[in-house]
Amino acid sequence: MSNILVVLEQRDGKIKRVGHEALAAARGLADAGGGEVHGLVIGGGSVEADGLGAFGADRVTVSTDDSSELYQSEPYAATVADAAQMGDYAALLISATALGRDLAPRVAAKLDCPLAADVTELSYDSGIVVKRPAYSGKATYTLRVTSPLVVISVRPNAYAPLQSDQAGTIGEGSVTAGREGRAVTKEIKQPERAALDVTEASIVVAGGRGLKDAEHFALVEGLAEALGAAVGASRAVVDAGWRPHSEQVGQTGKTVSPGLYIAVGISGAVQHLAGMRTAKVIVAINKDADAPIFKVADYGIVGDLFEIIPRLTDEIRALKEN
Amino acid sequence: MSRFVPADFQPRLPLDRLILSEPPEEERIEMDVLFVGAGPAGLAGAIELAKLVKADNGEISIGVLEKASALGEHNLSGAVVNPRAFRELFPDLGDADFPFSTPVTQEGLYLLSATGARRLPTPPTMKNHGNFIGSICEIVRWLGAKAEDLGVDIFPGFPAEGLLTEGDKVLGVRTVATGLDRDGSELSNYMPPADITARVTALAEGTRGPLSQAYCEWQGLHGKNPQIFALGVKELWELERPLDRVIHTMGWPLPNDAFGGSFMYPLEPKVAALGLVVGLDHPHRSLDVHELLQQLKMHPLFRKYLEGGELVEWGAKTIPEGWFYALPPRRTGDGVVILGDAAGFVDVPSLKGIHYAMQSGMYAARAIFDGLKANDTSAATLSAYDRMVNESYIRDDLYRTRNIRPAFKDGFYKGSIKAGLMTVTGGRVFGKRITMHADADMARGSGGGVEVTPGALTVSKVDAVFKSANATRDNIPSHLIAADDVPADVAEFYSHVCPAGVYEVSGDGLRINAPNCIDCKATDVVGPRWMPREGGSGPAYKRM
Amino acid sequence: MKLAVCIKRTPDTETRIKIAGDGKRIDEAGVKFVLNTYDEYAVEEALQLKERAGSGEVVVVTVGTEASQETIRTALAMGADRGVLLKVDGASIDPLPVAKALADELRGGEYDVVLFGKLAIDDYSHATGPMVAELLGVPCVSAVAKLEIADGKGTAEREIEGGVEVVEFSLPAVITADKGLNEPRYPALRGIMMAKKKPLEVKDVALADGGLEIVELALPPERQEGRIVGEGADAVPALIDALRNEAKVL
Repeated sequence: MSNILVVLEQRDGKIKRVGHEALAAARGLADAGGGEVHGLVIGGGSVEADGLGAFGADRVTVSTDDSSELYQSEPYAATVADAAQMGDYAALLISATALGRDLAPRVAAKLDCPLAADVTELSYDSGIVVKRPAYSGKATYTLRVTSPLVVISVRPNAYAPLQSDQAGTIGEGSVTAGREGRAVTKEIKQPERAALDVTEASIVVAGGRGLKDAEHFALVEGLAEALGAAVGASRAVVDAGWRPHSEQVGQTGKTVSPGLYIAVGISGAVQHLAGMRTAKVIVAINKDADAPIFKVADYGIVGDLFEIIPRLTDEIRALKEN
Repeated sequence: MSRFVPADFQPRLPLDRLILSEPPEEERIEMDVLFVGAGPAGLAGAIELAKLVKADNGEISIGVLEKASALGEHNLSGAVVNPRAFRELFPDLGDADFPFSTPVTQEGLYLLSATGARRLPTPPTMKNHGNFIGSICEIVRWLGAKAEDLGVDIFPGFPAEGLLTEGDKVLGVRTVATGLDRDGSELSNYMPPADITARVTALAEGTRGPLSQAYCEWQGLHGKNPQIFALGVKELWELERPLDRVIHTMGWPLPNDAFGGSFMYPLEPKVAALGLVVGLDHPHRSLDVHELLQQLKMHPLFRKYLEGGELVEWGAKTIPEGWFYALPPRRTGDGVVILGDAAGFVDVPSLKGIHYAMQSGMYAARAIFDGLKANDTSAATLSAYDRMVNESYIRDDLYRTRNIRPAFKDGFYKGSIKAGLMTVTGGRVFGKRITMHADADMARGSGGGVEVTPGALTVSKVDAVFKSANATRDNIPSHLIAADDVPADVAEFYSHVCPAGVYEVSGDGLRINAPNCIDCKATDVVGPRWMPREGGSGPAYKRM
Repeated sequence: MKLAVCIKRTPDTETRIKIAGDGKRIDEAGVKFVLNTYDEYAVEEALQLKERAGSGEVVVVTVGTEASQETIRTALAMGADRGVLLKVDGASIDPLPVAKALADELRGGEYDVVLFGKLAIDDYSHATGPMVAELLGVPCVSAVAKLEIADGKGTAEREIEGGVEVVEFSLPAVITADKGLNEPRYPALRGIMMAKKKPLEVKDVALADGGLEIVELALPPERQEGRIVGEGADAVPALIDALRNEAKVL
């Protein structure tokens, strides 16, 4: 098999974790098929691209231009397409982030090759084979690539970053950069604390009667903020007037299917379970070990939420800052 | 309170909301004929009318309003279907073309005890040779496509909330507003009601239709007996072990003083419909059809099929059971006809109503067509529909078995003997009308409840509502009208009557979870009133 | 203002998925099909843009089978002016052939803005909008939650991880709509009646060959039995480890 080119996403000059994950995905594929992994970083003035060998890259190219500090769809796509045509590549990997989901289809159209989006598993079996979820995660496609080049966007968290002693070679500015686009990203605003809708969020932190008081919902809000999650509530606390009806999860409230659902002080009445049991991963935190919520939970902690939640919030914050 | 009569706590039907006498909006939509309800009656009527118009080279506008967001989503039936009306409506098609799953080949009627099942001879009225098993959802979608092919305009997601009237004449209907918040204020996507006028309005609302009820009450159209109802709770199962026959049962787990029975029909060898139907005239406060169905599933007869299987859908609906003597004396008026279940065309001994519903729609279409041709849609002209029904097999079938259901008012065993005698004599024994009381007038005492141990085969009410695919917007205004200060005993009664957990006892009173409602109308019969609400609310049945 | 909206007929989100006998598609029996949720936002936005401009045309375009006519009618009932069905025999799991068919239809149409939903809830590819933009050679902003257009240019906001990107663009452009862009209107009864009389053109097209072959469509594995990771606050590290490395959701 030929080589694999990985577009490494950076923010403020630092390679993001999703970039390391994409390298791990590429490394596995290259080792199976026999080929090299090349990285491509597009960014502004300076980019920290050292040490990517340890994450699985054989060679890294950095393309910098002042106008490329923020993501610009057309110049980025042109740069990636140029890089792709300069080597003998079988696949082009891009992280399926907000950036990658915009960039990958553009690049695929430019290169006139197929796109396998939001891929969770890559393998080599006399050709590239990928798995990707569809139908809101209710089914998974296995697809075989039949063209010489394919663009693949890799879902965040699907692969864990590698750690090895390899160094990798860094080449710089070997592809053109700095073209004018007709859509120009001007800035990145910090999100307003507009409440994320509970049905749309990929993470939901929901609170129940175990919080004992409306004021204690600040704990749930704090954890939700740390996770970038939406706040949900059980019917009991909505009926008690602690939370607005728009946050109610359950039979008479919203039905949610997030990737992660954390139930805090919720016993798990069936009517609540009916609204959240399609969540991919369910975490329950409750002092009652016999609470029905533990029956549907993937992970549980039995204990005092007033101690557990602050600690969990702190550790999540620390993790995010890393 | 040890005993109470539900009628004492039942609000009156709000005729002022359902019968509107102000003139229609200027922005109204005008049609020639409007069917209210896209079930078998309304759709068969629309199809027959469109065919008559086409054969006559005419052109008229025919509309069908439906409260569900898509065709079939509010339809629920057993169902074993008599293909007679299909054959008459589609003479060019054969049985294999109709939307049925499979013909009935074997059937068995069983009398159950808690552990045993005794096979009974199948009474002639229950014989199903030549009939077909089908899903009413699929039947309705199929009929809807046929109607649209003929140019009928079908509007899913538009319930009617009131009849537009002038004098005694029906002018059309007003639809329900959408986009209201819980407190009645308008949301950003609020859409006001629309008035639709028509030369004839055909009420095909199905069981316990509010407009049909309101029209009959307004016009004083009461049958010799009051209309009575049963509640059917139904589940759809995917089975590990194939089912090869139609099963009906009587007896356990019902108490002796409740009328009803169960059914299990194979839609496919490994997909079965299972349900329990119980008359709402039982004397109990705690009788709960949903819970009884859960208990029924524990019986070895059903258990052996269900174990290892999966519950895929759940739903419930009332069935008019008063039949012959409960029919309104006329089903026609100035500019209006009443069809199908809304009129009460159901034959209880044979457990059938779909072909009567379709046939009534077809007869009404013929009367309407003649009325349009003569430019006269008065009660006198439309009464041709009543005559056609009275001279048809609908009347004959219902008359033959006219007293069978009433016979059971004294309980199961006495009722069975009387019913058996009536069946063999074509209704001549006990031929005199047996007087019935309305369900709400039957006093209720404590008891009738069952304790069901949750297990792999059972489903709680909340989970059941989930399986009905009910996705009602949870901030819509409540559509249920309950009396103020409902005592706890009565609240408990409602909580058992309602299969969907809409009513709960809360402290000393009643708590209403309106978005749970799946439009079965059971409590409308004996308690709080069901009113039309935003289109698309309620269940979304796929194959019930 | 001349606007096009590219839409798709997809199964309802509530649909229970069953795999067809060939193991490569869903079993469509009993499945309810609707206008893709995100496309509703796109249609609504197009209608609002036209209303604000005071004049113009909203054209809905879809690639699909005969059944997609119903989906077009839904958009027409909301208020779109006319529809085009690019009729194909089957679907393509590779989004590029679909994007090419759409681009061929849109090219030369002199549209100011072409709108899409940010993704189709069946394939989840997030792809067709940016691909069409590339094929037409126009700028694109995807997953837009806020949009302002005036005097031949526009500003869009799109949610990214940990922030909101503000993008300025010139017209013509492609926009893909995210939830939150607007609150789609209900089709009114009159709108539904009028929709039946609006023009709907059906064109037979043949999709180019894609570069992906479906090996299998399968249901995800059964949920595994859960476990208690520990008691009290001391169990937090174990929970985080499980979420990161086992469940891979952090």
